[in-house]
Amino acid sequence: MPIGFSLTFKLLLIAFGAVSVGLWLGETAGWVAACAGLALLHVLHVYQLARLQRWLQSPKADELPDPWGMWGAVFAGVYRALRMESRKRDEVSRDLELFTQAAQALPDGIAMLDSGDQLLWCNDTAAQHLGLQPGRDYGLRVTNIVRVPRLAAFLQDVPAEETLDFHPAHNAGQLLSLKAIPFSDGRKLLVSFDITKIERADTTRRDFIANVSHELRTPLTVIHGFLEHMSDATVMPAEQVRRHIALMVQQSDRMLKLVDDLLMLSRLEGSDAPQREERVDVHAMLHALADDARALSAGQHTINVTVDEDAAISGSADELRSAFGNLASNAVRYTPPGGAIALTWCVDEQNRGVFSVADSGIGIAAEHIPRLTERFYRVDRGRSRETGGTGLGLAIVKHVLLRHQAALHIQSEPGKGSEFRIVFPVWRGVVDKPAARADAA
Amino acid sequence: MANSEHTSKQFDADLEDIRSRVLQMGGLVEIQLTTVIEGLATGGEDIISRVIETERRVNNYEKEIDDACVHVVARRQPAASDLRLIMSVSKIVTDLERMGDEAEKIARMARSIYGRGALTIPRSIDLRQAGNKAAMILRRVLDAKARLDTAEAEKVIAEGKLIDTEFRGILRQLITYMMEDPRTITTALDIVWIAKSIERVGDHAENIAEQVIYIVDGIDIRHTGLPPAPAPEESA
Repeated sequence: MPIGFSLTFKLLLIAFGAVSVGLWLGETAGWVAACAGLALLHVLHVYQLARLQRWLQSPKADELPDPWGMWGAVFAGVYRALRMESRKRDEVSRDLELFTQAAQALPDGIAMLDSGDQLLWCNDTAAQHLGLQPGRDYGLRVTNIVRVPRLAAFLQDVPAEETLDFHPAHNAGQLLSLKAIPFSDGRKLLVSFDITKIERADTTRRDFIANVSHELRTPLTVIHGFLEHMSDATVMPAEQVRRHIALMVQQSDRMLKLVDDLLMLSRLEGSDAPQREERVDVHAMLHALADDARALSAGQHTINVTVDEDAAISGSADELRSAFGNLASNAVRYTPPGGAIALTWCVDEQNRGVFSVADSGIGIAAEHIPRLTERFYRVDRGRSRETGGTGLGLAIVKHVLLRHQAALHIQSEPGKGSEFRIVFPVWRGVVDKPAARADAA
Repeated sequence: MANSEHTSKQFDADLEDIRSRVLQMGGLVEIQLTTVIEGLATGGEDIISRVIETERRVNNYEKEIDDACVHVVARRQPAASDLRLIMSVSKIVTDLERMGDEAEKIARMARSIYGRGALTIPRSIDLRQAGNKAAMILRRVLDAKARLDTAEAEKVIAEGKLIDTEFRGILRQLITYMMEDPRTITTALDIVWIAKSIERVGDHAENIAEQVIYIVDGIDIRHTGLPPAPAPEESA
């Protein structure tokens, strides 16, 4: 009510002044005075209004014009309303910022599309997956940038459960999976996942199953063939029967070996650590391995053993024997008769236990080396099988070494020979001699 | 949207539709090109059939888009940037369609080389490198077209020249081969055709880049090159 009161008071004041002037100087003068008073009041109000308008263009608390009469209340009211508004706006924009940051933090790509498939917003992951430029591409149809022919149809009638898998053009090595989720009024949320690794794992698994079946089938076919032949033939010389049985035994041996290796691999993959931590006398093990290797070689190779007798190692003896044995038998099988093989066990200058098998064999071309430890990876299929390999030896070696935190280094030159070197971490070393132990400590 | 709105929403929708379809067509050609480059290494028989199959779809796109352009001109009498868009779209689809043809030619050549019993294509690494570069340039020019990004279009024109250099390099090597051993001439000639096709793809990409600049700035830089003072960078 103060505004109304103030205005009434001023008007009364003008009326009173005008009436007194009218009584004193005549009626005309009275009217003139009333007009002048009203005009003055009007000018003052217009002036205040102008100040208010100017201030509203950039409202700041410290520049609020001096209130005058009833305008004080108006200015204060406007100022309060503005402040409340701006506080609310701050709150809303803070919430929005929070949501944006949360969407940014998602590990998957998120892109928001309007009903015409135009990009509204996307997080950095989506930008990277789809080759979008955040900010710049807002408002563009997403199919104009992601020009995968199937995408337009995919977005048109969004299937609830289906995904669209594709290799993005700017990064062909990546495999993306897209999912479109409709929300409010035909808008869509486009979610992108990087499934490169999953796909690779899938391929590996499929390859593995195919390989295992193939490896088991080959010897089985031979056995089956002989058995059929024997059941068909009524009379067969004893000599031939014996020969067939010998071949079948050989093939079933191969199958047994393969299944044993597979079981070993699955056991190794089942856990990360060796079954038992025990002290392993590598020198004793190595001499036994060298004897096995000589038996396999049947005197066709020179096999030398160099062992540091004092160095032992902690780990699982069974697993290490299998790993070392695989490397030694590989060396025998891939070295032509007359070649030399050297088995070495020593401690290097950094106090690490090192086992190495060097041969003067056929060697391995550089491009095969990174893939050697893959299951069933073979440089030369025919050769590997003819020498009795299962294709799993180096995969077993790799897993045993992983469990022992050891590293495998392969050096090879085709035609010259190969060296497989296993380096154990320092803490696995066990040194027997008290003097040597003092040195190591 | 890049363009200001028209009173007729339908007109906007038509233009946006044309713009989108050109880029969809571009996407198909991109796939053709990457498929055929991959095929150079493997020589798979399925690749040629895939490329030819896509080629048919590319041709359909060309006809459809041209038709849509004629319709827009007849019904809306577009002016200024809309007219430039329509005019250049009908040129861009021609370039894209030719690129598709080149991809098909490459596939046929590769088949004829492998068909002659060669296990690998000589200099295939150089060819793949040049081919990948052409595919990358195509991708970038289509991105520039979608974003109406003239700065990127100018860069594409500059890089298109690099493919020409690569082509001449391959040619020089092949000449040496042919002089050393005349028995390689048949294969070498096929490779020349492949390299030439790749080079043509680069040229078509350059043409599209020129059209992008024409749409945005209204400057025709064909045959004359960029104006001495580079056009002010577009701020989208």
